Amino acid sequence: MSEARDKLLNIALVGNPNCGKSTIFNQLTGLRQKTGNFPGITVEIKEGRMQFPSGRQAILTDLPGTYSLYPTSSDEKIVASVLTNPKDAHYPNVVIYVADATHLEKHLLLLTQLLDLDIPVMMALNMSDTAEEIGIKVNAGVLADRLGIPVVAISGRTGANIQKLIAEIEKLSDSTAFSEKHFYPLQEVEKQVAEAVCLNFSLTNAYQALLLAHHYEWLPFLSEQNQETLRAIVQDKGLASLRFQVDETLDRYDRFTPIVQEAVQRPPQFPSTPTDQIDAVVTHRWWGPLLFFFVMLLVFQAIYDWSTVPMDWIEQFFAQLNVWLTDILPVHWSTDLITDGILAGLSGILVFIPQIAILFFLITVLEEIGYMARVVFIFDKTMRRFGMNGRSVVSLISGGACAVPAIMSSRTIGNWKERLITTMVTPFISCSARLPVYAVLIGLAVPDKRVFWIFSWQSLTFGSMYALGVVAAFASGYLMKKVLHTRESSYLAIELPVYRIPHWRNLWLTVWEKVGAFVIGAGKIILVISMVLWALARFGPGDAMAQAATKARQEAQKQQLNQTEAADLLAAYQLEASYAGYLGKVIEPAIRPLGYDWKIGIALIASFAAREVFVGTMSTIYSIGSSEDAFILREKMKKARFEDSGTPVYTLATALSLLVFYALAMQCMSTMAVVKRETGSWKWPLLQFSYMSLMAYLLAWVVYNVFA
Amino acid sequence: MQRRYRTIPDLKVHESAHALAFEDPALAGKLTAMGLLPGTLIEMVRTAPFGSAYYIKADGVRLALREEEASSILIDV
Repeated sequence: MSEARDKLLNIALVGNPNCGKSTIFNQLTGLRQKTGNFPGITVEIKEGRMQFPSGRQAILTDLPGTYSLYPTSSDEKIVASVLTNPKDAHYPNVVIYVADATHLEKHLLLLTQLLDLDIPVMMALNMSDTAEEIGIKVNAGVLADRLGIPVVAISGRTGANIQKLIAEIEKLSDSTAFSEKHFYPLQEVEKQVAEAVCLNFSLTNAYQALLLAHHYEWLPFLSEQNQETLRAIVQDKGLASLRFQVDETLDRYDRFTPIVQEAVQRPPQFPSTPTDQIDAVVTHRWWGPLLFFFVMLLVFQAIYDWSTVPMDWIEQFFAQLNVWLTDILPVHWSTDLITDGILAGLSGILVFIPQIAILFFLITVLEEIGYMARVVFIFDKTMRRFGMNGRSVVSLISGGACAVPAIMSSRTIGNWKERLITTMVTPFISCSARLPVYAVLIGLAVPDKRVFWIFSWQSLTFGSMYALGVVAAFASGYLMKKVLHTRESSYLAIELPVYRIPHWRNLWLTVWEKVGAFVIGAGKIILVISMVLWALARFGPGDAMAQAATKARQEAQKQQLNQTEAADLLAAYQLEASYAGYLGKVIEPAIRPLGYDWKIGIALIASFAAREVFVGTMSTIYSIGSSEDAFILREKMKKARFEDSGTPVYTLATALSLLVFYALAMQCMSTMAVVKRETGSWKWPLLQFSYMSLMAYLLAWVVYNVFA
Repeated sequence: MQRRYRTIPDLKVHESAHALAFEDPALAGKLTAMGLLPGTLIEMVRTAPFGSAYYIKADGVRLALREEEASSILIDV
């Protein structure tokens, strides 16, 4: 298998941000793509398979968009680290350089750097149809001649000339020749550095050597010893990295600008696009923030309203499947494992698909049309007060659906501190998993009475839970900003792209990919945890479970319960006798000050895997496991009393205290796993867990004592 | 001698000027890569709704810059 892969061609797509690279990637690979983990650093890159007409296959890698090989964010660093390391698994045999034909004069810098690295490269001149529409004529022949590489004018939008592009790639990969044009003549100091590096690392390409010297501090493939060697060379020769980078960039512009002027004919005046008129509203002092508010309202409406029907379908499907399997399978603990452990876990994962799909669909639409860049611009100042960056808005908004993809989206933040704070506070935003918990508890304890005209106490409590999360996120951001120190500078400096109509293909593929990543990534963890939980609830110490069963049967006979009621009673007694019940009682003294009994204790323990487990666990505890009906559950919970004092468990104070606890506590294994992956150590997720739990505990205690 | 330059925040809305130089070398690396070079014509489009950031056009490319980023770019008078 690996041998077969070795023979496959490695092709990489490289280009500036907003050049339309991902559209071309989707055109070339379709559904044959996956998101892989990038070894060494915690960034994902997209990979896909493409096939040549001859039947040969190749792996196409979509490298993140970057303006140059001098990166400023972890996304961009990948490009430099792949292209300076021929031993990298993704090191390309051929690069397809994607350039925007409407802005060619800004899109050739990175290309000239690739040419100096002697990587076989060809140019895909994207958006050539749009360029023609606005009167820009690009002479591909002149470009090909002056750059010494094949140039194909294409349109990622319509797919025009994609076949020609594929044919050119194959031709180029057979020849293994690279352009003989070089652009940047090294300055004297750079020459000396490059010679020393070439000698020490037995390299032949001077520009590659120079890049190693510029980036030795963070290039992931260098050993500590390598870094020492490079540091010594840089210091010895006096390579002032930043100054040389700028000089090099300017020199490159001087060299390729004449080529662009020769190859491109543009109208005397910049054609006006609707972008300026749209931005007059979208980034307007008043209309801008107002529009943002409405867009967010729409997104939330979509997530909650449009998803209910498909979510019901999924739940009903699993309920039916459960009934059917219980009927046909023998009565045995392994049947219970399948129905109560695995199926319950699967349903808990799959039920989130509609919400995640809708959220990503909308976020991708906003991203594709170019709106997100404007949001970053509008809120940059506000976010920076709280230690974050304009780009953090996107993460926090996504956190309203699920913290896992939201945290993944923080990768575009260049500054380490701002990115870390965004990662740390995003889980405070009330995600969709808290929704069912809020619904049960609010229905239970908050009176359904109207205040003012249209508001009810219930909806106000609901809103307050979201507000609480937002306040907690910003407050902790502010705190972390004061505590954490970094000398790294932070930049906004982003391009506000021209507004575009989204490509449907890109949209569907993104949704498909994100849903897949959730089901497989988070799904694995949820499935394992739900099986562990099942075992904790199914088995007990010694013969405790058998005794509980006998007791339940006697009780059922005494009360003359019907079959379902008797079975539910049995489940409740057994849960109390199980390891889970035992654990609940162990932690009861710790949670009693918050107003919780051991039954809530069980639900809390279970919820540390994932919050949505709360409703299911409570249903089992209150012996309505067979129906999981929120209404019946509420009726049962209303009647619950403390075993020692006989006072009701679910007073308004307890319910509010529980609500606050669920709003603030870090009860999500998947989020912790993602934070570990993104920060590269367990230090941060553990800190986050302790901090959030402590905050949840203290505030829940305060709320309980205020309302009790 | 009086300095013969201004910075971007000195521009009024719809006013234009040429970039001369950058005071922050790290930002200079980023901006030049994005196509804002010494000599590029810069037009002020508007300030951000909550202030402290600018929407500019540099030779047809729309950019968002923070106050301190914008004020590190020297422009002609």
